[in-house]
Amino acid sequence: DPARRAKAIVKAVTHFNDPAILAEVSKGLGEPMRGLEIGAIKKEELLAGRGW
Amino acid sequence: MKIGVLALQGSFAEHVATLRRLGVEAVEVRLPSQLEDLDGLIIPGGESTTIGKLLDSYGFLEQLRPRISAGFPVYGTCAGLILLARDVGGLDQPLLATMDLVVDRNAYGRQIDSFEADVPIAGIGSEPFHAIFIRAPKIKAVGPDVEVLGTHSDGGIVAARQGNLLVSAFHPELTDDSRFHQYFVDLCAANREARARRASVGSHE
Repeated sequence: DPARRAKAIVKAVTHFNDPAILAEVSKGLGEPMRGLEIGAIKKEELLAGRGW
Repeated sequence: MKIGVLALQGSFAEHVATLRRLGVEAVEVRLPSQLEDLDGLIIPGGESTTIGKLLDSYGFLEQLRPRISAGFPVYGTCAGLILLARDVGGLDQPLLATMDLVVDRNAYGRQIDSFEADVPIAGIGSEPFHAIFIRAPKIKAVGPDVEVLGTHSDGGIVAARQGNLLVSAFHPELTDDSRFHQYFVDLCAANREARARRASVGSHE
């Protein structure tokens, strides 16, 4: 849930020194955005080759 | 005496530094519970919609508004000015709206239109204040109880006071001139003394 994660990031930055709030906003965020290994991307979809 | 600086976003570190240079105890405020034993609060420059949303989501609005009505001193710079104003041109953003001001946001234009100007300010001495305006708002109109403290050469009001509320459209915290902060510190001190007198009178009844 990107919106929820974004809100959590804002609150975490604002209350960086409050462990209770940091713990609270970190709950239930689901999976983070997954990385994509370069070798797994099709050649035509690599950024360097896209476009003109 | 202890003055808080709202530290949700914006130039709070600079305000804290200026207050400490004046020998005043300054604390960063991120939760309403931290407002309790303060003699005053500074709302820094920054992004007013962001600060407003965070004020709202952490329950500051319901706590600050009644305290302000009861005389709690607040000084707002730029974004802080916007948050205190009752009218920002119908924009949909959370406001404290406790000061009788009509304000135009980003009145001088975009970031590239930011500028510096020497502005005479009432109450801080005869030397004009070297004011830094960054995407500054303009105070278009003030209510009858508002004292105008400074006006820019284009006629826009850039500093004002309404009782315990002080605002500037410019950023004193970004300069070495601490006279405007001193003015607010003095306001808080007078307010504190008045409260102490009222409290001691009350105990004699």
